[in-house]
Amino acid sequence: MIQSFLDSWALFHNTYLAGWLSGILLAMVGVLVLAREQIFLSAAVAQASSLGIALGMWAGGQEPLARLDWLHSDAFLSAMAVGLAVATALTARSTNGGNRLGAEAITGWIFLAAASSSTLLLAHSPHGTEEINRLLSSSLIGASAADVWLFGGLAGATALTLIRYHRAILLMAMDPPMAAAIGLRLRPWSILTAAWLGLVIGLAMRSTGMLFTFGCLVLPALVAGLVCRELRAMFVIAPLAACLAAGLGFVIANEYDYPPAQMTVALLCAGVIVIGLMRRLLERI
Amino acid sequence: MDSRRPGQLPPSDSAFLIRARGVRLDYGAQTVLDSVDLQVGAGEFWFLLGRNGTGKSTFLKALLGLVKPRSGCIVVHPALAQRERFGFVPQNSVFNPALPTTVREFVLLAMAGLSMGRKEESRRLGAALASVGLQGTERRDYWSLSDGQRQRVLVARALARNPRLLIMDEPTNGLDVACEAALLEHLATLNREEALSLLFVSHNLATATRYATHVALFHERRVTAGRASHILTSANLKHVYGFSLDET
Repeated sequence: MIQSFLDSWALFHNTYLAGWLSGILLAMVGVLVLAREQIFLSAAVAQASSLGIALGMWAGGQEPLARLDWLHSDAFLSAMAVGLAVATALTARSTNGGNRLGAEAITGWIFLAAASSSTLLLAHSPHGTEEINRLLSSSLIGASAADVWLFGGLAGATALTLIRYHRAILLMAMDPPMAAAIGLRLRPWSILTAAWLGLVIGLAMRSTGMLFTFGCLVLPALVAGLVCRELRAMFVIAPLAACLAAGLGFVIANEYDYPPAQMTVALLCAGVIVIGLMRRLLERI
Repeated sequence: MDSRRPGQLPPSDSAFLIRARGVRLDYGAQTVLDSVDLQVGAGEFWFLLGRNGTGKSTFLKALLGLVKPRSGCIVVHPALAQRERFGFVPQNSVFNPALPTTVREFVLLAMAGLSMGRKEESRRLGAALASVGLQGTERRDYWSLSDGQRQRVLVARALARNPRLLIMDEPTNGLDVACEAALLEHLATLNREEALSLLFVSHNLATATRYATHVALFHERRVTAGRASHILTSANLKHVYGFSLDET
């Protein structure tokens, strides 16, 4: 099994590396998502980034825009994915608590509006529906060396920021009144984290799709929450869990010809259940 | 050369730590408080009293910078402008129980922004926990504590920063009588001996009568504030609560 995986390395090494690095990045950001109780919001942000891609593809199919080459480039679609994701995260932040409907209702609206309109926009496009389905179901095949560097850089920057500021970041996420009381600047931080969440989700969506992005954002943090005794340890355990699941998932998927993203997410789901049951058993003993 | 410790007020200019002038606070289209004047000085023990929904917690949020006044201003003494030596204790711990944490980590999170060695951190942690009767619980799971114990950890977390001003929103909620008395005595000692200023939202008139040096009475969008002996009068209490201290 391992040999078969190693044999595939020359062909798919960018896919594997981009998958691992984006998993590590998403898992670190996912701990903050869990701390701020924003799991549903992150799903809406991911869905909004698929709308960004759909909008980009739709624009590329309209005359006279269709003649513009850059509208069909990967960079433009990635920028659209990131743009919509960041805009959604920032909008949700600014409406949080100040709207009669409530933050959760608005997040639900964003999710549904983005999901329906992205499909409708491309319903009559030759490859549009196929692309949206690929995004939703996730495919890691096709990642480039640029993706590897991008996710590696973002993961490194996130890790360094967490090492330096993890206390302030966690306090602002968990207890804004205390953070404000001691002079931490909530507004810039809140804008920055919303923008970072949008950026990470938008880029991951374009490269890995909805299932892998959302799965690696939420599930490693849940695994870490079950395993760790302290929050700061979650920032280590969650990326490790993502890396382990992606590593194992890619090897199994390669051996038995399954899609690697789905295999990784399935392993993480199983991990949450197994660790949860073991924890419950240990508590009883 | 300035030999004062960081956060220490200049002797000639220590008239106030935080000052509200003509503050109006709105919640949506509704005015919660209007024309609030209140000045907290070093070593004062303020009790914020009033019926439910009279704006006490909203006023605290404004002092913390979480709510912006519609008009008027809230000024923090320049020596404390960075708020490094402010502390806050909420009504209860409404944190996400899915997040694992120990008592040690929970208290130390509030040391964010302070630079000190691990020894000093541990010393402050131990002292803060001891002051609320929770010594030796550093390694315990925060979620395994009772509600009352968690409330005391919240107080320890605020004290660990060695605050000059401690803002507390009904911090004795959920505490049994003995714990409440011990906590108040400890705060009163810090207030007397270390000139810690306290802003304490409470519904307990008897406690206020015993500990307050100053009182702010919240009633019908207005605040009557001043020395406890001037404010806690039968006429004022009758006006706010409908009964006086003599009748309690």
